Amino acid sequence: MLVQQLLNGLIVGSVYALFALGFTLVFGVLNILNLAHGAVFMWGAFVGLYAVTVAGLPLPLAFLLGTLAAGILSVLVDLLVFRPMRKRNGDEFGALVASLGANLVLISLAQQVSNARIMSFPFGTFPIVIFEFLGLRVSLLQLTMIGCLIVLVSALLYYVYVMPFGRQVRAVAVSERTAVLLGVNPTAVYVRTFFIAGALAGAAGVIIGLAFNSVQFLMGEPMMLRAFVVIILGGMGSIRGAIVAGLLLGVVQTTVVTYISSQLSDAIIFALLFIALLVRPTGLFRGLRQPARVARS
Amino acid sequence: MNDLFAAYKPLFDITLLSCGLAFSQYVVLRAGVESFATAAFAAIGAYFAAILVTKWGAAAPVAVLAACALGAVAGGLLSIPLARLRSVFQAIATIAFVQIVVSLILYAEPVTGGALGINGIPQLVGTLGLLLYLAIVVALMTVINRSGIGRAFDALRQDETVAVALGISVIKYHALAFILSGAIAGAGGGMLALNTFSIHAEQFGFPLLVAALAAVVLGGRTSVLGPIVGAALLAILPEIARPLAEQRLLVYGLILIVIIIYLPRGIVDTLAARWIAWRAVRQTPSVVLGSADDQPVH
Repeated sequence: MLVQQLLNGLIVGSVYALFALGFTLVFGVLNILNLAHGAVFMWGAFVGLYAVTVAGLPLPLAFLLGTLAAGILSVLVDLLVFRPMRKRNGDEFGALVASLGANLVLISLAQQVSNARIMSFPFGTFPIVIFEFLGLRVSLLQLTMIGCLIVLVSALLYYVYVMPFGRQVRAVAVSERTAVLLGVNPTAVYVRTFFIAGALAGAAGVIIGLAFNSVQFLMGEPMMLRAFVVIILGGMGSIRGAIVAGLLLGVVQTTVVTYISSQLSDAIIFALLFIALLVRPTGLFRGLRQPARVARS
Repeated sequence: MNDLFAAYKPLFDITLLSCGLAFSQYVVLRAGVESFATAAFAAIGAYFAAILVTKWGAAAPVAVLAACALGAVAGGLLSIPLARLRSVFQAIATIAFVQIVVSLILYAEPVTGGALGINGIPQLVGTLGLLLYLAIVVALMTVINRSGIGRAFDALRQDETVAVALGISVIKYHALAFILSGAIAGAGGGMLALNTFSIHAEQFGFPLLVAALAAVVLGGRTSVLGPIVGAALLAILPEIARPLAEQRLLVYGLILIVIIIYLPRGIVDTLAARWIAWRAVRQTPSVVLGSADDQPVH
């Protein structure tokens, strides 16, 4: 029973990690909290769902489409909201407010597109196959979720830590001006960062839509709040931290729901966030920016 | 039945209430605290006042004062753990605080009515009461802004390091800002509960957070007139242009984006700065005025 719950928690946590990775990446590079990330995630799920229900595309293609669309949407948010902000030397508070505005716009558009309905993938979109081994039950969908996480995270780690992109990101994160002097094009770095962040969120959106079989315009909000917990626990801007903290959060959440109360799980998760902020606001891991920025500069 | 009445409530009452709640958001921003806890304080005040009136038969002034006091206590208590945090971390912690309060209200069904909320609250607070509330808040803010507290808030907002060097206690003034924010929102929430017949938990989550923030961002974050102008515009706008009423969230979102990018100091503060600059040029034409960007406006 406990092992089964741990396994379920790890699977849910892998999606949290996927979502929070993009969030933490944007924070690491731009030092802004992109509150529109949840809406991008929701739109990824919407595009994936409509690709199946309206266009009748097969699921893998719909998944790809949702991922791409969310990536592009995320780039659009950067171009239309954060870039004018950067040009006019907006402060952190301004970026926070602007991204909150972008979140509202994207959510209310989705509300109108969907007529505020709760939609779901047609029955049989994903084959229900359940494997049993060592007394544990795992569905094919759960295995696919884990597989997606492993593939996407490996690709991200390769891109950030092996390819030159990672060095460019870190250069821009430390100082945009110095990065320009060194021949790095910050605009390209921003566009790529936002695309990766959005694409990861979109992938997480389609997966969550499939796993809970429900897609609706408010689905981004609980994810955002969980992502807060993940990035605080893992350290703002830390990729490793987001993965570890995401998995940890998934396990904690399933354990709380199973053994304490499902209604209280949100309150307990956010109490956890509070404790993390009090005890160790810099998180478990170091971010892209060092030293960790807790005090105002 | 109650909702039917609420739909026909005069616009004026709602405008007054949102002005009050905007001031709760304003006072923390003025002190340089990126807190979004106004919605949580308002929820605490609203539920406390509603329970006092419906279950204990308290009189309206008692209930509102109690809600105000509880809001202040909540603000003071919240400021203790948040003393170490700044900027984005404060924002995250306070957004989480709002969520904790909302989910606790939903959980504590025997006391709060859970998802159904509290209905059938007698309307004990009328327009006159709301006017009195707003007048007190505005007077309080004006006095604070003209006193040393206002100057300390300005210093903290503009540069915390300098403020500390000038001997301003960050912890003390941040706590004061939180207590004021809690008291104003607590009283406002209590008035809201006693004015609108019914309350439910969801209305105090993101919708209220966004409405209070949008009012202050639109109006301005330093001048006392700012939140009033912002909240009044946001309340009246959907009434002038009917289609906007259905797109309320979309309009709020667009306003937040456009204003914070192109008019980051809000309507009133920008106009006030222009006015001061213009007057200074008129009176002393020889003085070349520097950027009036961070001048406190009273």
